[in-house]
Amino acid sequence: MSSLDQLKLTFFDECSEALQQIELGLPDLREGTASEDTINAVFRSVHSVKGGAGIFGFEDLVKFAHVFETVLDAIRSGKLVATREIVDTLLQANDVLSDLITMSRSGEAIPPNHGAECHAALERILREEAVDGSSQNDDASAPVDFEGLDFIPVPAEAFDDSSDPFASIEREYNIVFRPKPAMLKNGGDPLQIVRSLRALGTLDLTVETDRLPQLADMEADQPYLGWTGVLRTTAGRDQIDEAFGSALGDCALEITATGAELEASPPIAPAEPEQTLLPSVDPLPSVDPLPSLDPFPSADAAPAAAATPPPRETVAPAAPTSGADNAEAALPRSSSSKFTSAGATTTRVELEKIDRVVNMVGELVIAQAMLGQVVSSLPEDISGRLVQVLEEVIHHTRELKDSVMSMRAQQVNAVFQRMPRLVRELAAKTAKKARLEMSGENTEVDRSIIERLGDPLTHIIRNAIDHGIESPEVRLAAGKSEEGTIRLAAEHRGGRIIIEIGDDGAGINPERVLRKAQDRGLVSADAVLNEDEINNLIFLPGFSTADKISDISGRGVGMDVVRRNIQDLGGRISLKSERGRGMTIQLALPLTLAVMDGMVIRVGQETYVMPMSAIVECLRPPASDVHSLLGTRGMLQLRGNLVPLVHLSELLDVNSTPAASEERVVIIGDAGDGARFGIVVDELCGHQQVVVKSIEESYGSVPGIAGATILGNGRVAFILDVEKLSTLASSQNGPAVARFANAAPPTAATVN
Amino acid sequence: MPAAAVLKVLVVDDQTSVRQMTRMTLEQIGVRHIHEAENGRQAMDTASLQPLDLIISDFNMPEMDGLALLRAVRGHPAARKVPFILLTGRGDRELVVKAAQAGANNYLIKPFTADTLRQKVEQVMGKLS
Repeated sequence: MSSLDQLKLTFFDECSEALQQIELGLPDLREGTASEDTINAVFRSVHSVKGGAGIFGFEDLVKFAHVFETVLDAIRSGKLVATREIVDTLLQANDVLSDLITMSRSGEAIPPNHGAECHAALERILREEAVDGSSQNDDASAPVDFEGLDFIPVPAEAFDDSSDPFASIEREYNIVFRPKPAMLKNGGDPLQIVRSLRALGTLDLTVETDRLPQLADMEADQPYLGWTGVLRTTAGRDQIDEAFGSALGDCALEITATGAELEASPPIAPAEPEQTLLPSVDPLPSVDPLPSLDPFPSADAAPAAAATPPPRETVAPAAPTSGADNAEAALPRSSSSKFTSAGATTTRVELEKIDRVVNMVGELVIAQAMLGQVVSSLPEDISGRLVQVLEEVIHHTRELKDSVMSMRAQQVNAVFQRMPRLVRELAAKTAKKARLEMSGENTEVDRSIIERLGDPLTHIIRNAIDHGIESPEVRLAAGKSEEGTIRLAAEHRGGRIIIEIGDDGAGINPERVLRKAQDRGLVSADAVLNEDEINNLIFLPGFSTADKISDISGRGVGMDVVRRNIQDLGGRISLKSERGRGMTIQLALPLTLAVMDGMVIRVGQETYVMPMSAIVECLRPPASDVHSLLGTRGMLQLRGNLVPLVHLSELLDVNSTPAASEERVVIIGDAGDGARFGIVVDELCGHQQVVVKSIEESYGSVPGIAGATILGNGRVAFILDVEKLSTLASSQNGPAVARFANAAPPTAATVN
Repeated sequence: MPAAAVLKVLVVDDQTSVRQMTRMTLEQIGVRHIHEAENGRQAMDTASLQPLDLIISDFNMPEMDGLALLRAVRGHPAARKVPFILLTGRGDRELVVKAAQAGANNYLIKPFTADTLRQKVEQVMGKLS
């Protein structure tokens, strides 16, 4: 990839950020709650798109962004009042802008009239409101030049090295210096350091004697003194550090620039009077040498910013000047996800690098499990202290894992931001009115999950508008507001991320769903199901309640695919519906796919791992609670309910001598849709964090197996897919289980 | 006659793509020492820590815009003489006038070619060698 292509990619990334800003800011503008910062941020975003597009030669983008920007400029300068109609046009403009960016990015030819309507609407706004657009050149593509402006040429002599203004600048540093015992042991000499510092400039030191003990208690090899003081020098930070030489690490040291720059000698160039008159500690002349002549939009901000003193030099380990060549790579990027300017405290890191760290942490987790195994096999008198240390290692590894994972984490906003547009478009297509309310957009989750969340969310929202929200007339007749509301919320709960998509539409009509399911032979005609069970029927493959296939949600992709997508991510989907009041779909997803909490179990000679998220409880039931029932592998009576049992040994065809019934361990698993079933295993070996390794590349998709991991003894163990196990079990056991398990995957009925 | 290879230039723009494009163009005309900053505040950090020969700055930036940066530079004891070229989108005459009054030494309209850049830099600093 040429460096220019690389730059274009960077530009398109910036465009995505810009679109996000616009998408975030416009609704506030519509509600009239937008602050000046918000409007400025939106304007700046469009402006950036325009600027970059010009550089990279995307003329269509430039033209459209220009008129968009002009309207925003009129709003921000108060020449135009942002009515709802205008903001609606702006929202459309954002959609067009997004299309143009997408097409420019993919290199598609842009249809000549794309967005022409919106373009015209924007121009109409400018015309009708008689906005004076003269400060902006109307034809964005016409080159402009401003000859005849009085620019000050700079004489070449000004760049002579002898006039280096930095040479004459004396700075003031506060120094706190306290040697540590190691310094004397390593041959460091505090006195020598003080002398070196003095050689750099004027040094004013005070000795700290408060730690000096009584003479009798004094140890010859202990440093008791410390120094604090002020150094005034023209030397840079690196030269000061040099004075400490190799002792730099052997002392408690604080060096802070006070920010005071002292003009020791008059500048080479004739000094202007106010320069010499100024008190030497003021880094910026407080007298504004410029006539104040700005009716400028950000007039308040500009002089204020100019009056703030330059930031103090902080004690950075690297001398800033030496980092010049790395400046590009290490340049922090300020987070642009919100309007608040928190300062440039972020760095862009290639994903690959983070993935490498994630892998290393994975290896570390495995190595640590191995270490644990070794330690546990040692006699206790030897292992005691080791166990303590190991515990600490485990603690730190977990923290390390969490920090790395948080680096990979992204805000769900990356997916959420696409939804407002979806809702707008769908509402327009279906002639319904809908509004999207989002919350928790800043919730963070691993980016691999983010990437695969888009399709399910899109589908659910489509359904909500197509099937859930009623037409305005029906809503009014039902005593609801004309405009339907879709709520999209994300939050962290119990180590998972919960995403809820709710609407205030009609909810599920159980009779219709049941009839449809019976028509399609998905449930038997005489089946008696409660409302929850009926609602869950919509997750069956091939289920669609729309009487006519609409071009919005009836594309043959049903909720079963959504459920499968969510389950592939290790998540669960559930729904709550209240007839006439709307429904809510809840997705519970793990925060990461790379490392998970697992229960190590044994069956015969084989060891497996079961995801903790799928385990409801583990128990050792008395024989009297297990009932054999014809056509089943046994049913367990659990607090009044009958739960079907499956034997892992049979399911996976593992040789296992059936344990005495009292020793059997039953793990109650969750089949994913609320149905419970019991998995009989030989032994629980303990809970541990495991690193998930995919086996799909080598073996394809194996039913019942979600992946593999490496255990502490170095052996590979398969991670079980609990939900698939229940499907496998029902197909083995025949329909009897499906009938008994209250809502066990009804696929059983159709599979057989 | 300043040699392009020894010039220390600071490029200020909040857009990485524009910054790097400017860097590439500067490299085409022989500039080797290029610092970058993404807003006025960062630029002041850089400008107050080391001698610079030229600042090329965008106007529209969060935190501290180009005009505020220009005023801060002109008010800074060490950096006040550093030539300043304002980068602007097309069509902001008002802005360019304001920049000239605030002490900018020239302006540059995005997008620009290497030739235009050289021309503007030479107008400000004299012929480059």
